[in-house]
Amino acid sequence: MSATAAPAVSAPAISPGAPVGWKVPATLSVLAVVALVVFGFLGSAQTAEFGISASGDAFALPALRVPGMATSIVLGVLMAGLAAWSVWLKLQGRRTPGWAGPVFAVMFVFSFLVWVVASARTPSISLAGLIAGAVTLAVPLVFGSLSGVLCERSGVVNIAIEGQLLGGAFTAAIVASVTRSPALGLVAAAVAGALVSMVLAVFSIRYLVNQIIVGVVLNVLVSGLTGFLFTTVMQEDPELFNSPGRLPILEIPVLSAIPILGPILFKQSVVGYLMYIAVAVVWLGLFKTRWGLRLRAVGEHPKAADTLGIRVNATRFWNVTLGGAIAGIGGSFFTLVAIDSFTKEISGGRGFIALAALIFGRWNPIGAFFAALLFGFADNLQAILTIIGTPVPSQFMAMMPYLVTVFAVAGLVGRSRPPAAEGIPYVKG
Amino acid sequence: MITTRPHFAKTAAAGAALAGAAALVLSACGAPPETTGPTASAPDFIGCIVSDSGGFDDQSFNQSSYEGLKKAEADLGIQVKEAESKSNNDYETNLNGMMSAGCNLTVTVGYLLGDATKAAAEANPDKHFTIVDFAYAQPVPNVKPVVYDTAQAAYLAGYAAAATTKTGIVGTFGGVKIPTVTIFMDGFADGVAAYNQAKGKDVQLLGWNKAAQDGTFTGDFEKQDKGKQFTQNLLDQGADIVMPVAGPVGKGAGAALQEAKAAGKEVALIWVDSDGYLTAPDYKDIMLTSVMKKMDEAIEALVRDDTEGKFSNEPYVGTLENDGVAIAPFHDYDAKVSAETKAELEQLRKDIIDGTVTVTSQASPKK
Repeated sequence: MSATAAPAVSAPAISPGAPVGWKVPATLSVLAVVALVVFGFLGSAQTAEFGISASGDAFALPALRVPGMATSIVLGVLMAGLAAWSVWLKLQGRRTPGWAGPVFAVMFVFSFLVWVVASARTPSISLAGLIAGAVTLAVPLVFGSLSGVLCERSGVVNIAIEGQLLGGAFTAAIVASVTRSPALGLVAAAVAGALVSMVLAVFSIRYLVNQIIVGVVLNVLVSGLTGFLFTTVMQEDPELFNSPGRLPILEIPVLSAIPILGPILFKQSVVGYLMYIAVAVVWLGLFKTRWGLRLRAVGEHPKAADTLGIRVNATRFWNVTLGGAIAGIGGSFFTLVAIDSFTKEISGGRGFIALAALIFGRWNPIGAFFAALLFGFADNLQAILTIIGTPVPSQFMAMMPYLVTVFAVAGLVGRSRPPAAEGIPYVKG
Repeated sequence: MITTRPHFAKTAAAGAALAGAAALVLSACGAPPETTGPTASAPDFIGCIVSDSGGFDDQSFNQSSYEGLKKAEADLGIQVKEAESKSNNDYETNLNGMMSAGCNLTVTVGYLLGDATKAAAEANPDKHFTIVDFAYAQPVPNVKPVVYDTAQAAYLAGYAAAATTKTGIVGTFGGVKIPTVTIFMDGFADGVAAYNQAKGKDVQLLGWNKAAQDGTFTGDFEKQDKGKQFTQNLLDQGADIVMPVAGPVGKGAGAALQEAKAAGKEVALIWVDSDGYLTAPDYKDIMLTSVMKKMDEAIEALVRDDTEGKFSNEPYVGTLENDGVAIAPFHDYDAKVSAETKAELEQLRKDIIDGTVTVTSQASPKK
């Protein structure tokens, strides 16, 4: 969906001579037909119910109830109209405007939701729960991809996000348990993530080892080390070493009672709030400060940066370390917010999804944030859909988040450009 | 968890001598000479165990099986060798390692080790194997499957949940869609249905559709935060009692339910495999009951049999009747389950044992 939007959004208007492609009109047409036929005519006539308010909201809104088939047909016709317009524009030799893609995508997703909910055994889902859960599942991904942004923008490939998350999760658990302070656990998680990152930095910057290999090895190392310590230390006395306690949920009065948006913005743990702050700070820092300019310079053209007196390798080293600290905080989400204990492989490969989100988000903190949210949304949606009992087999539903990621990355990555000097160690002279 | 009991040493030695004598007598019964030769006695018996990727501290079947073997070590004085598999690629290597270590009996834990165990057993016909939670369509002469008709116990848990729910909705989710997981969900679904039929109620089950054999799965046995989110989703859909069948991911369910409880909701958790009140004490305040598979006892008994030369490849099927499966006591929830329900559960248990009530699941061990 986003893939179809992308070419239109960033199509350069400065090349009027270039022929207008069939990609957008064709994609829109195919999707519109799918939506109209599958979601509309073949859909269920049951009423789909979307709960807006969670229990505890200040002003409860009534649930949104829409007739399944009729809604999908109306949306399908609208989408078909949009697609036809796009084809007409193409025949006129004009481009489809940028807003068409996102509007189409929203209609498509809503049409899909109505179809799938209406054809379920229990045709009712909580929209508030769906969105809140999507953000929850996205939290570690956002931190992981921010770590990737800092490392890769400065020119070091970071495959070790998974290891940084896992290291952070483990350290948070053990430090918070021993000190009886989840806050200290949070700090320790950042330190642990930074340490993992420092190993990456030392080997890739100082010893010029292939960065991808160091990253992969680090993931295996952290996995083995935390697994070993879990068995030999934590399991021996879980009371002392593996009961960190949870970071409290800090609820901002009044605001947290806003339907849907309240819980995701104003009813979070410290880690949740830090996520929003980190996205904003990294974006501002990267694009609006001298630090960010230097960071990007060493990632794009280290030689030029060096000529101007920027210490390339030191800049890389400290930013890679900082990235690790951010991922470490993300790791603490697993053991201080979600669950209050550590188990082996608790990060479960989320570091790699974060890597995909980073690329899908075009090495931009805000892009990566939304990419992670998209993944979290798809992941939670499939969970809820299997709960209400859709006709789609659960194994297929389980693939959905990954399919969305693959399509999203495939649709965009061909056009998004990594930092030019990424993965290339800088040697003076 | 594992207590070493020094005062057992004497008993163990005596038992070992006895076992040795028994072995001597029984060695004619086609048992391989390596395990039951004249000098064989329990101290020389090497019992080995290979885990699946969950590891021996999974608070689930790897752990229970491991504890069974450790009990045999303490009680019978056997030697124990263990190998944890980190991934699906480790099974063959670990089994080969056990073979060269001279294991008499190798316990392999889990469905996923089915093929590797068969291969090792065929390559080493003089060794004995026990595989937990898996049975072969074609029996292998030197592999004893240990399987459980878990649906029977889950049925009772489903009935208890349906009788206890306040919202009229109960939920379940699994880790991975494999028979040893879905068998819990089938039994649970039938138990809920039985309650509805008996009482004319309409308690709904979310997360598993027995007829369609499909439901909600987190996709692995690792991502505990996902287990928490899934449970939150079930709560959002109105469920108040949740049974996670997902090994360590079940802790995520515990965390979500505890948060719901702290927010003033009345919720409960049903643990699986072991009595969660004892093995996951963090969540004992919300533990309604547990669906137990008593693997530790089965494994210890098997090792004892093998040291006595009584190995057979006849599958062991844990049922309510032989107490291989059971539901745990209600512990703190004892007061919240009515005497009537308890009496009905006891009656159902008897009915299942004598065959008046049959619990069916596609995943049930084939008799």
